[in-house]
Amino acid sequence: MDNLRLPYWALCTALALAVTFVVRDPYLASIVNLISIAALVAVSLRFVMLIGELNFATAAFMGLGAYAAGAATTILHWPFALALVFGGVVAAAISIVFGYITLRTRGPYFLLIGFAFTEAVRILYSKSMALGGTSGMVGIFPPVGFDAWMPSLIMAVAAVLIFALYVLERSDFGKILTAIRDNENVARTVGLNILLCKVACFAIASFAAGIAGGLHAFANNVISPGDFSFLVAAFALAYVKVGGEDNIVGPLVGTILLVTLGSFALGLGGQEHIFYGAAIILAVLLLPDGITGLARRGYQRLAARKGH
Amino acid sequence: MQAAEQVLLRTKGLTRRFGGLVAVSDLDLEIRPREILGLIGPNGAGKSTTFNLISGFYKPSAGTLFVFGENCTGKSPLAISRMGLVRTFQHGSLMSSMSVRDNILLGTIHGVSGAARRRERTEETAAMLGLTPHLDNMAGTLPHGLQRLVSIGIAFAARPRLLCLDEPLTGLNQTEVADTLTVLERIRDEFACSILLVEHNMKAVMKVCDRIVVLHHGQHLASGTPAEIRNDRKVVEAYLGHRHDS
Repeated sequence: MDNLRLPYWALCTALALAVTFVVRDPYLASIVNLISIAALVAVSLRFVMLIGELNFATAAFMGLGAYAAGAATTILHWPFALALVFGGVVAAAISIVFGYITLRTRGPYFLLIGFAFTEAVRILYSKSMALGGTSGMVGIFPPVGFDAWMPSLIMAVAAVLIFALYVLERSDFGKILTAIRDNENVARTVGLNILLCKVACFAIASFAAGIAGGLHAFANNVISPGDFSFLVAAFALAYVKVGGEDNIVGPLVGTILLVTLGSFALGLGGQEHIFYGAAIILAVLLLPDGITGLARRGYQRLAARKGH
Repeated sequence: MQAAEQVLLRTKGLTRRFGGLVAVSDLDLEIRPREILGLIGPNGAGKSTTFNLISGFYKPSAGTLFVFGENCTGKSPLAISRMGLVRTFQHGSLMSSMSVRDNILLGTIHGVSGAARRRERTEETAAMLGLTPHLDNMAGTLPHGLQRLVSIGIAFAARPRLLCLDEPLTGLNQTEVADTLTVLERIRDEFACSILLVEHNMKAVMKVCDRIVVLHHGQHLASGTPAEIRNDRKVVEAYLGHRHDS
């Protein structure tokens, strides 16, 4: 296990939680929720990028988590925490089966399968009357009295999961994942079960995506199939690429920046999608390692100048 | 079986066809404890196919494969590697975006439990290969010779009973070749590990191998000690093309 930089994590989490305590305006609170949830989805997407795969099924697993949590709450009347965890578990369980079958493919094939799965699952919700069809599922409320604390709760859950994914990435398991991306055959020849590690990576990421879906359901009280189209994964990819994928800080920076920009654009009556599109193009052309990559290079240059 | 215990790897009639081409034909091969066995032959002789057959990457079209006395015909690369047969690849046998430390560490994960013991094994392996000063460098940024050593390091960190190296000396300068050969001898002598060496550098093969097997057109042509191989007429004709009289 490498150095976990605990002080930084504690400080940043404390700051993020402080923001949720200070923000009392409902519109601003909804943006904070959006950021927490989108950051968790982006980090989940990046976790599968560790094995070198682009996981467009992230959107599907977020949706499965949301619908599972929603159904547990509105149909089964399960308690809040149980329903939330149930969403993550359902997403992870389905992802194990899905991953075991599909993770034998790679690259564009895996991406396309994930894309198709996301759209298929989305259409499934809209055809299912029990799940509310195209108009969606309503009445997914957190316990009475929680409303005021929802942004803090959502932020806290997202922070815990993001930190957990970070810890896994820094562990020996995380090194196996990077090795799979770099050179799968070498990992196989030293006795490591590659498919098992890939499925585990995928299931862990899907659990996080499922929890993100549950948080989304409880934050908005309403979910509909359209919330979980492939665009969710496309946006998450934009956050990762703009922020930088080398480090877990990248998707966090990308999410905060792009969601804030996007919300601002909505306020202007514009289409926030244009911002995302432009941001991706600019990032890919000008910042191959994203904003965090640029910051690191700048820091290195500064350090080098000081050294002289 | 008494005989099985004395032989680490045995193939009987091992054959692999690709369409109409017979890449390896009816090959009987034996690797004994504590030996460095050279597998040589001209280009297209079937060395790489043999390598892929015994490490499970190819399934044989016919014949049987015994590894450590167990019938491993048709077993997966994972199953065979877990028995203690670890191979390297001719091209790019390392993770270039990871540090040398993490590269070697990868070899310890399956066999060693506990972070401290993995680190210990990693550092011990690096020290033996002379890679200690480079542990924290990115593997992809190292010069070619050191990258070759890292590949061996990953494989050896798993402490195999049989280490199969696919052209580990390609592109190395003379000093690097000599250093690598010393490492191979130490692996054999200090860790009682046998080595199967596929290599084009004849001088090195003659120097380091205990026995040599020559393949030609996918078939076993000759086997014996380096001295025997050097003076084998069939080998000289098939492999070198003409006799050198000095």
